[in-house]
Amino acid sequence: MSARIVRGRIDRAGTLVSADAPLLRLQQRAGAGLEKPLALPHLARLVALAQRLQRDISRPLHAADDHSDVHALVRIIPDADGASLEISDWRTRPVAQPQAPPHGTPPAAAGGWSWECDARLRLIALRAGVGAPPPPAGWEGRSLSELFELQPDGDGHFAVLRALARQAPFEAQSARIDAAGGRAATTLSGDPLFDAAGGFTGFRGVAMPADSPREDASGRSLADPAFGSLPLSDPQFGRRIDGALRGPLSRIIATAETISGQFDGPIRADYARYAGDIAHAGRHLLGLVDDLADLQNIERPGFKAARDEIDLGDLARRAVGLLGMKAEEKGIRIDAPRTDDQAPAYGEFRRVLQVLLNLLGNAIRYSPENSLIWIRVDREDDRATVTVADQGQGISADQQAVVFEKFERLGRTDSGGSGLGLYIARRLARAMDGDLVVDSAPGQGARFTLSLPARD
Amino acid sequence: MRDLLASPGTGLPSLPLSARLKEMADYLAAPGAARLTEEQRALALGIARRLVADVAARLDAAIDPAALWLDWIEGGLPGADRLAAPCFARAEEHRWREQSALRAAPPRIPSPEETAGADEADGMPAVDAPMTDIDRGYLALQIADRRRTDALGNPCIAVADLDPDLFRALLLDIAAWRLVELGKAGAEAARLGDAVRAALAAQAGEAGIDAAAARWHRALEAEGALAEAAAATIARHDWPALIALSAAAHRRRYGEMALTLLTAETAALPSLLAPLRVDRMALAPLEASLTLLPGRTISGGGAADEDYASLLAARAERVAPPPDGEA
Repeated sequence: MSARIVRGRIDRAGTLVSADAPLLRLQQRAGAGLEKPLALPHLARLVALAQRLQRDISRPLHAADDHSDVHALVRIIPDADGASLEISDWRTRPVAQPQAPPHGTPPAAAGGWSWECDARLRLIALRAGVGAPPPPAGWEGRSLSELFELQPDGDGHFAVLRALARQAPFEAQSARIDAAGGRAATTLSGDPLFDAAGGFTGFRGVAMPADSPREDASGRSLADPAFGSLPLSDPQFGRRIDGALRGPLSRIIATAETISGQFDGPIRADYARYAGDIAHAGRHLLGLVDDLADLQNIERPGFKAARDEIDLGDLARRAVGLLGMKAEEKGIRIDAPRTDDQAPAYGEFRRVLQVLLNLLGNAIRYSPENSLIWIRVDREDDRATVTVADQGQGISADQQAVVFEKFERLGRTDSGGSGLGLYIARRLARAMDGDLVVDSAPGQGARFTLSLPARD
Repeated sequence: MRDLLASPGTGLPSLPLSARLKEMADYLAAPGAARLTEEQRALALGIARRLVADVAARLDAAIDPAALWLDWIEGGLPGADRLAAPCFARAEEHRWREQSALRAAPPRIPSPEETAGADEADGMPAVDAPMTDIDRGYLALQIADRRRTDALGNPCIAVADLDPDLFRALLLDIAAWRLVELGKAGAEAARLGDAVRAALAAQAGEAGIDAAAARWHRALEAEGALAEAAAATIARHDWPALIALSAAAHRRRYGEMALTLLTAETAALPSLLAPLRVDRMALAPLEASLTLLPGRTISGGGAADEDYASLLAARAERVAPPPDGEA
């Protein structure tokens, strides 16, 4: 969790009058600047909402430009002259560009290595990501093809050689490498690098452990023409479909919100409503893409969560801060832990917040209007717990047995969720040496309890 | 500073108050000077954190870098004055390179028709192809440079590039923290003392970016290719290579040279790069790139303390009435 706050100021007319560099850069990339109307539709909509309600609101913020998708938390404080913005936890994910290479080093995914080579494929960087084994000694200056024993594909071609000839990105280059536990199968992907004069200077990419050697025959039979020759079971497929969907969806949402918010001028009310429906459906699809990406990540062998020192009381209050407005819209009151209620525990900050947002979001979604949701933190022996209880219709014993299954929506067909949230939440809890359980009966609401190792 | 800020009878001010007052005093001392942006602060702090973690790992793998950093953040970093220049220099260099990469025009990607005849490279580039000294020098420089980022692409300072005195001071500060944390001296102090000596010896044997820069510079000079290579680094916006060549030419450390170039007035660039014998016209991309860097600190432009008296004297001469008989 980054503690850095990006600040900005909007006047009453919706003009951005001051902004810290990251926010200003985003505004400029959207084609505007200082003293121009805020050009980020999602943020502009939130500002308008805060000004209309004349109260502080905190919401997740999504924005996209030609280079990246931005995810952050924004707090908007309206006043008589406009509104102040405080944006925290600013996270940027580069968008793969079909015509231009991404800038900056791609993060070494957990369990993998990031690497860089020069134009003659000599390695100039090799670093281990979180949980990955250290690179072999003496890699400096060695050829990519020497260190990674590259394997041809089913047609006898090498993806990296094709990419070298075209100076283009490549993926799914199978390789083998001597690792601590013997020879390991690896999959390489990389993007071309160019200098300011347009000269090709090499590749930069990641090497991820392959789950199992690819069977060429099955690979061909499952190939989808939209995503090249990757079989559906290949982890690369998930990453590519994630990247391929996220950009267009973000743009659909942003454009639909612009139309729905009538930021470029008034339109017929029913058209604005249709655009609002498009944005809503787009956000749902984006949530599904997020869930699928999470699913693929946590189902990877060896997935581990970080062991941060956290306080479940603090995280519960943060979750309430993020979803409080959503509850208010249904007249639901949330009885959150008091500020002196603490439950020190070990777990990954973001992942625990993700689980709590899922539990609280479900509770709000399935609670009747004007009801109460309460959240309590506690400690039992060596476990710290947080319980989210609602006054919804409850879950029968049969349903409790399957509620943590993948794609299980208990017969619901509304567009509220993907059916993956609770499955992911329990997998995350268990990856942090904890658990997630439910206690419920029809007509008596549901109580979901997350337990984690307690901290003294 | 502490004496200045402590009122009689009130004791020493708290750390946050003291820090604020020091910041205020610095501001009052130079109200016209540009302040650090949040981005500069965050970058420098991140670089310092990664450096402390790297040094701690070399000293004792059992040290929890998060606990160490938390303690130091709360109590103030020991030797903050020593850390300021290298962290600021690395942060500014990173900002410059990032900005330059963002502004670079995307390369032209050949169309499929153009690459139809080159569907796959003829073969892997030969592993044992002979390399010239110049190529070897540049390769070593690139490897040394890439060690100055972590696995996520964040800027850091490689221990091999660290000034030995600063490295020693950091090791000793971390060892002292570790002793307090463990709550025991004696054998542990001796073990940590050995670890400090071993870490210093290991660092002395490592070739960092300064050695790589000197090697490449020597190779280029031997082949009479220095000016051409320097001009090419500017044209390609290969700023680490340019800093390395300048540092080697001036026999200065890479970090010092980076700070000098990044804070130089435009008019000072030709003389700074004179040892590289770069044509004046070839400097244009460098001047443009530096000018576009937001929040850049320009050295010079203010009178040094020792010049203050002469400045006052000069001003007094300008306003003094002319002696009788003149004018």
